[in-house]
Amino acid sequence: MVLQRNLLLAAFAVALLAPLVLRDEYLMHIGVLVVFSIMLATSFNLMVGYVGEFPLGHTAFLGIGAYTAALGASTFGLPFAANLVLACLFSAAFGFVMGAVTLRLRGPFFVIITLCFAEVLRIVANNWVGLTNGPMGIAGIPKPAFLAGLSMLDQKVGFYYLGLGLAALCVYAAYRYVNSNLGRAAVSVRENRFVAQSVGIWPFYIGLLTFVIAAAMAGMAGAFYAHYVSFVGPEVFGFSFMISMIIMVLLGGKGTLVGPVIGPVIVVLLEEYLRDFKELRLSLFGLIVIAVVLFMPQGLAGPLARRRERAGAAKA
Amino acid sequence: MDLFLQLLANGLVNGTFYALSALGLTLVFGLMRVVNFAHGEFYVIGGLAGWALTNAVGLHFFLALPIVILGMGVFGLLIDRFLIERVRDQGPETGILLTIGLSIFIVNTALLVVGTAPLKVVSPFLNRPIFIGPVVVTQARLFTVALCAVLILAVHLLVQRTTLGRAMRATFQDATAARLVGIRTRHVYGLTFALGSALAGTAGMLLGSIYVAQATIGGIVSLKAFVVVILGGMGSFAGAIVGGLVLGLVEAIWGGYGPSGYVDAVGFALVIVMLLVRPYGLFSKQVERA
Repeated sequence: MVLQRNLLLAAFAVALLAPLVLRDEYLMHIGVLVVFSIMLATSFNLMVGYVGEFPLGHTAFLGIGAYTAALGASTFGLPFAANLVLACLFSAAFGFVMGAVTLRLRGPFFVIITLCFAEVLRIVANNWVGLTNGPMGIAGIPKPAFLAGLSMLDQKVGFYYLGLGLAALCVYAAYRYVNSNLGRAAVSVRENRFVAQSVGIWPFYIGLLTFVIAAAMAGMAGAFYAHYVSFVGPEVFGFSFMISMIIMVLLGGKGTLVGPVIGPVIVVLLEEYLRDFKELRLSLFGLIVIAVVLFMPQGLAGPLARRRERAGAAKA
Repeated sequence: MDLFLQLLANGLVNGTFYALSALGLTLVFGLMRVVNFAHGEFYVIGGLAGWALTNAVGLHFFLALPIVILGMGVFGLLIDRFLIERVRDQGPETGILLTIGLSIFIVNTALLVVGTAPLKVVSPFLNRPIFIGPVVVTQARLFTVALCAVLILAVHLLVQRTTLGRAMRATFQDATAARLVGIRTRHVYGLTFALGSALAGTAGMLLGSIYVAQATIGGIVSLKAFVVVILGGMGSFAGAIVGGLVLGLVEAIWGGYGPSGYVDAVGFALVIVMLLVRPYGLFSKQVERA
């Protein structure tokens, strides 16, 4: 755990210094994508890696956060900070409702019903033209006030630091979560639900609390996305974000803190590198998922987690 | 009243089609407990192969159908041997991820090969309308409904009445015990998955002659098939039929009287409510086990 923490701190330091060296709009854009993806992957990892349930409709929270921010900015003229907080709150509230319904189910049922939720939201966003402007989406979401009037490059750098701060907040929250009683209880539920119950842990409650935290994180990522791209359409609920989240968390290593940081870096860079190949790129992603599941189920950071377990065992 | 009857008829026809497209999943997910997210993509492959054989090669529909069935069966067997078998005993999550990877791969490869255009399987039946009282159904649909019924019945009999079917049920109840009494479970797993894929492919080809075959529809087909299987209760054929019919009817009636943009959402809302009220489906005898 100490090793993981130190790695994360080192990565954070490198990320802080990166813009000083990489004075380039395109590279900063990639940096923003990476920090955005780290928020999403960290959020997804809390459920997949610690509670051990697989919410295939996790994009619901991303979408709710994005739409909350978009509506807050365009309809009510709220500033960025207010939108960010509102997006977290709305997503968390929806996470509570969705979790209360779906966490009574397990395994495949949980997976499919969460997906149904996201799909219903996508259809609503597509059809409720009065609120969401339907398939046209909401365009022209303003940039945060402190970035107004800066050059394009400085805006990107600003967004990068903003995103880095938010991503660091997510990762720190995840770190605290894992080292809390809540996180340990979640792991015990994941490892053996019945033993956990026998020592007085209520799996539903643990799952629900984690779900709400993860939802708030994804909502925050959504608000950040809305203000960065300045456009939100129904596709934020779509499966393509879900696919990226799955690949990032899997490849990085689920159930580790470093995994959801390594994964996004690799996947975003790979995505940019393979951009020329279009659909072939996605075919390759499919093969990567299959290969990771078959040959590297622990992900890249898996050995770190195992090292931690050995260290823990040695102490005990 | 005439409108209602017509909607009822449409709902029943669509419902039968839903039941057919979920039939393979009833075997693979309901009995074999593999959460196959690539089911819709198998359906798409069946449809595209049907299009290629009837349209590009120019074979007759009934000559192409057995080729598709056989081809999809072999394909399913290979998938089971090389992919599913490796994650057999690792819980549902691994299987979910594996099949999601497979589905991403198939969708995008299909897009590379045929593009996004909707393609039609050449059908031997005319789209001539048949009037039954105030209700209109096309000839092709009526024939496909009949074929669906035959297929569903055949699979039901296969699972309930044959030695292979008994071996299947034994294997999925307790694989170790099944091996002890001499069932070659490896073959049973392979054959069941092959049968599931063949059924998905058949559904894709049959429905590709009524609607269209398209590379990108796999996701929605998968999700609706899961809805049907869960609505009906895991592994129950009667349940799958009822689940399909319920979904078809509710969608048709909603589409006739309600805002039509939300038609697809109705099924999902239905299954969410269903799982709140009866978590194990309408017809399932399944109870929670420790």
